[in-house]
Amino acid sequence: MRISTGMLYYLGSTSLQQGQQELVRLQQQIASGRRIVKPSDDPVAASAVLDVNQSKALVEQYRTNADGAKGQLGLEENALADMTTVLQNVKTLAVYAGNASLSNTDRDSLATEVETAYQQLLEIANRRDSKGQYLFSGYQGATVPFSQVTPGNVTYNGDAGHRDVQIGAGRAISVNDSGEAVFRAIRNGNGTFVTAAAGANTGTGVIGPGSVTDPSKWNGPGNPGSFTIRFDVTATGAITYDIVDNVSNLSLLTGAAPAAGGPYLRTYSPGGTISLSRQVPPDTNPIAFDYGATVTIDNRPADGDTFTINSSTNQDIFTTLQAFISNLRSGVSAVTSSGAAYQNSINGTMLNLDNALDSVLNLRTSVGSRLAEIDAAKDTGESLSVQYSQMLSGLQDLDYAKAISDLSLQQTYLQAAQQSFLRITGLSLFDLL
Amino acid sequence: MGNGIFGIAISGLGAAQAGLVTTGHNIANASTPGFHRQSIEQSAAPGLFTGSGFFGQGVQIDTVVRAYDRFLEQQVARSAAQSSYYAAYQAQIERIDNLLGDSTTGLSPALQAFFGAVQSVAADPPSIPSRQSMISAGASLVARFNQIASQFNDIRSGINSQITSAVGQINAYAQQIAALNSRILVAQNNPSQPPNDLYDQRDALVAQLNGVIGTSTVQQSDGTISVFIGNGQSLVVGAQATTLSAMASPDDPLRTEVGYSTGAGTATLLNSASLTGGRLGALIAFRSADLDGAQNALGVLVQGLAHTFNDQQKLGQDLNGAIGTDFFSVPAPAVIDRSTNTGTAVITATISAVTALVASDYRLSFSGGNYTLLRLSDDTSSTFAALPQTVDGITFTLTGGAPANGDNFLVQPTRDAARAIGLNLTDPRGVAAAAPMRTAAPGSNTGNATISAGSVNGPPPVNVNLQQPVTITFTSANTFDVTGAGTGNPVGVAYTSGGNISYNGWSVQISGTPSAGDVFTIGPNSGGIADGRNALLLAGLQTQNLLAGGTTTYQGIYSQLVGRVGSQAQQIGVAAESHAALAVEALQAQQSVVGVNLDEEAANLLRYQQAYQAAGKVIQIASTLFDTILELGK
Repeated sequence: MRISTGMLYYLGSTSLQQGQQELVRLQQQIASGRRIVKPSDDPVAASAVLDVNQSKALVEQYRTNADGAKGQLGLEENALADMTTVLQNVKTLAVYAGNASLSNTDRDSLATEVETAYQQLLEIANRRDSKGQYLFSGYQGATVPFSQVTPGNVTYNGDAGHRDVQIGAGRAISVNDSGEAVFRAIRNGNGTFVTAAAGANTGTGVIGPGSVTDPSKWNGPGNPGSFTIRFDVTATGAITYDIVDNVSNLSLLTGAAPAAGGPYLRTYSPGGTISLSRQVPPDTNPIAFDYGATVTIDNRPADGDTFTINSSTNQDIFTTLQAFISNLRSGVSAVTSSGAAYQNSINGTMLNLDNALDSVLNLRTSVGSRLAEIDAAKDTGESLSVQYSQMLSGLQDLDYAKAISDLSLQQTYLQAAQQSFLRITGLSLFDLL
Repeated sequence: MGNGIFGIAISGLGAAQAGLVTTGHNIANASTPGFHRQSIEQSAAPGLFTGSGFFGQGVQIDTVVRAYDRFLEQQVARSAAQSSYYAAYQAQIERIDNLLGDSTTGLSPALQAFFGAVQSVAADPPSIPSRQSMISAGASLVARFNQIASQFNDIRSGINSQITSAVGQINAYAQQIAALNSRILVAQNNPSQPPNDLYDQRDALVAQLNGVIGTSTVQQSDGTISVFIGNGQSLVVGAQATTLSAMASPDDPLRTEVGYSTGAGTATLLNSASLTGGRLGALIAFRSADLDGAQNALGVLVQGLAHTFNDQQKLGQDLNGAIGTDFFSVPAPAVIDRSTNTGTAVITATISAVTALVASDYRLSFSGGNYTLLRLSDDTSSTFAALPQTVDGITFTLTGGAPANGDNFLVQPTRDAARAIGLNLTDPRGVAAAAPMRTAAPGSNTGNATISAGSVNGPPPVNVNLQQPVTITFTSANTFDVTGAGTGNPVGVAYTSGGNISYNGWSVQISGTPSAGDVFTIGPNSGGIADGRNALLLAGLQTQNLLAGGTTTYQGIYSQLVGRVGSQAQQIGVAAESHAALAVEALQAQQSVVGVNLDEEAANLLRYQQAYQAAGKVIQIASTLFDTILELGK
C-alpha cells in the first residue's frame, strides 16, 4: 500500500493524541479516586450511586435524629427518676404517719415535709428541655403544663400529644409522655375500685383496700360499680350489714329496696371477708350476683356507719398528696371515730401512692425500652451506613493498583509511539540527495 | 535527420521539464488540504514514415492528471459527515452528562440536604434555627434547580446560535461550490484537459460541507456537480446555490429551525429528516432527542416535588397556628399558540395529577371539529370532540374563543419548571410542622379504648370544619354518637376497633374496648408548637413513590435521568470513537491513492533530472554530428 507523507504525520499525531487522552482519563481517575468521573463512564453504576447516596444520607439523618431523641428521652427518664425518689419518700412518710403513737405536732411536721414533696413534684411536672420546651405538655411545647388553682387542684393545660421522631425507615418513636399520662392517669384505690369510709361514721371500723377475685366478673355487664355497705348494731351488740347497689338503689342481699334499719341479713365479724357475691343463705335475693370482689372491715363500726365501694377513677398525684397533707393537718382528735377516719385516709393515701409508683415504674420501663430501641436503631443505622459505604465504594471507587499499572503501561505506549514517530519521520530521501 | 534528432531531444527536454514541474507542484502542495497528487501522461509522438519504416519523433505530453478514485472520495465524504455528526453530538451530550452527574455539585446533594433539614424540623418542631435551616436548604435546592435550568438554557441558546452559524457555513460552501462549478464549466472547454486544481478545491469544499451537514453529490457530464441534502433537497445545481436560513419555529419562537428560501424574504421550514449527518444534524438530533427529554424529566421532578410538598404543607399548621401555605412556587404549563393560528381559542393547561406526569411536550391541534393531542416524546395521539380533557395528569381547557381549522398549540408542562421554581415561603414560622387538629381522651373514661393522634385528609385545601371541636361519645361498647359542627351529628354509629373514623377532613382510629359513656374529643391543635406530625409526613415524602405513576421517588426520577443521559452519552461516545476510526480508515485508503509521498517525489525528481540530462546529451551529440558535417566543407 502506498503511504502518503501527510498521512504518516496525521496518523502519528492521532495516535499521540489518543495516548494522551487515555493518560488524562487515568490521571483524572487517580486524582479523584473514582472509577466513574462522569455518568457515561458507567451509567448504571452512576445512577445507582445517586440512589445509594440518598439511602446513606437518610440512614445518617436517622442516626442524628436518634441522638436527639435519646437526649430528649434522657431528660424524661431523669424527671421520672426524680419523681420516683420523691414518691418513695412520701410513701415512707405515709408508713410513718400510720404509726399510732404520733402526736398531732409530729403529724404537722410530716405535713410540712409532704408539702415540700408536693412542690418538688410540681417542679418536675413543669420541667423544660434544653431548648425551653416543656417536657410534659404534649404538643404545646410553650404552654406551662401544670398550674395550681388551689393546693391540690392543679389543672393540666397540655394535651395528650406524642412528639414523634423518625429514627428509622418507617419507625417514628415518641420522645415524650404527656403530663396527662405521667401525673394524672393514675388509678385510685386498688386500681379496680376504691373503698372509703363515710365522714359521718362514728365507729372505729377501718376498711381495707379490698381485692378483686375475678376481674372478668368485676368488668362484666351489670356491675353498677358503686356500692354502699351499711351497718346496723343492735342493742345487744350484734352487728349486721347490708350491701346497696347505688345505681339501682336496691339491696343486693334482698333484691328489694333497702330496709330503713337493721338488723340486716349478713352478720359482721371484724376482719371477716365481705363478698360482693350472693351468699345463700343468708341472702334472699332471687337473682344471683357475683362482682368478683371482696373487702375487709376491721374493728367495730357503729350503728348507721357506711362504707362505699366505687370503681376506680384517675386521680392526679397532686390530689393524692394534698389529701395526705389535709389528713395530717387535721390530725386525730379525742372523738372515738377520729382515729379510724385518719387511718382510713392513710390507707387510701398508701394505695394511691403505690399506684403512682407503679405508674411511674411503667413509664420508666417504657422509656427504657424506647431508649433501647433507639440504641438498636442506631446500631442498625451504623451497620447500614457501613454497608452503603461499601456499596458506594464498590460502585465508584477506583482500583488503584490497576489504575496505576494502566497508567505506566499507557506511558510506555506513548513513549514508544513518540520515539517511533520521530524515527519514521526522520527518514527522508531528500536527506540523501 | 539532424533536425529530427534536435526535435526529438527537445521534446524529451520538454517532457522531463513537465515532469519536474508536476513533481515540484506535488512537493509544494504536499500539505495542501484536499490536494490530489498529479502526474503527467506522456506518449511517443507518432512515427514519421519513410521507405525504411516509421521513425519515432520523440515524446509528447498528453495531459496532466490527478490521482482520483470516485468511490474512495465518496467514502471519505460520507464517513466525514458521520464522524463530525458524532463528534458534535458527543460535545453536546457531554455537557449535560457532566452537569447532571457530578455527585458533589449535581442535584442530589441539594435534595438530600433539604430533606435532612425537614427531618431536623420534624425532630425539633419549635426550633426557629431548624426551621430557618429548612428554608435555607429549600432556597439552595431551588437555586440548584435554577442553575441547572440556566445551564440547560445556555445549551439550548448555544444550539440556536450554532444552528445559525452552521446555516451560514452551509450557504457559504454552497455558493463557493456553485462558483467553482461555473469556473470549471469555463475551464473545461477542452474536455480532455481537466482543471485538476479547481476539482481539488471543489472536492475540499464538499468535504468541508459534509462536516456541517450530510450531503450526496451527483457528477454531471459537463464537469459540474450537484449537491443534495437529506432526501433530495437540492443545495447546489450547476452554478445555482439554494440559500438556507435559520428561522424561529412557528410552534416555539425560542427554538431555531432551518428553512430554505423560496423567494424574497420567505422561507419554508425544512423537515428535520432533511437535516441528517454533520454538525447541524447532530445539533438538531441532540436537541429533540436528549435536551428536550432531559429538561422535561427534570421538570417532572420539579413539578412533582413542588406539588406534593406544597400539598402536604397545606395540610399542616405553622408556628403561628395558621394552616400552612405553599412552600415552593412553580409555573403552570406553558401553552404557545402557533404563529399561523387563525382562530381565537385560548387554551390553558393545568396539572391535575402530578403523579401521572410524563416528561414530554404536547401538540394540541384542531381539525375537522376534533382536537388531536399528540405526545411528542413518543408520538402517541388521542382525539376528542371537546375540551376539557385530562391526559397524563394535565387538564386541557378551552378558556375562551374558538379554534379555527388547522390551529396548533404547543404545550410544555414541565420544560420551564426548573428555571421558574421559587421559594414561596421565607418566614421560618411558616413551616407547617404541626397537624392542625389533635385528639384527647379524658381520664374519666372507664374503658380501655385509646384514640390515635389523628391525621388530616388530603388533598388540600383542608375542610373548613377541620378544627371544629368534635366529641365522640360511646353509647355502648359497639356504637357511638358524634357531635360537632360539620359532622351532621350522626348517632348510633357502629364501632370497630382500629377502624377509620373520618369527619370534617380528619381521620382518627379508636382501638380497644370502650365503655358506654366514654368520650373522645377532636379539636384544634392550639399552641401545638412541639407537634411535628406534619413535618414527619413532609420528610416522609422523600422516600415515597410519588412520581411516574407511583413507581418512583424524587431521587429516583433524577437517578433515572442521570442513567439515561449517561448511557446515551456512553453510546454516542462509542459511536464517535468508531466513526472517527472509520473516517481515518477511509482517509487512509483515499490518501494511499491520492496523497503525495515525498520520497516518491524525490525519486521522480531524480528520474526527470536524468531524463533531462539524457535529452541534453542527445542535443550535444547532434551538435557534434553537425560539426562533423561542417568540418567536411573546410
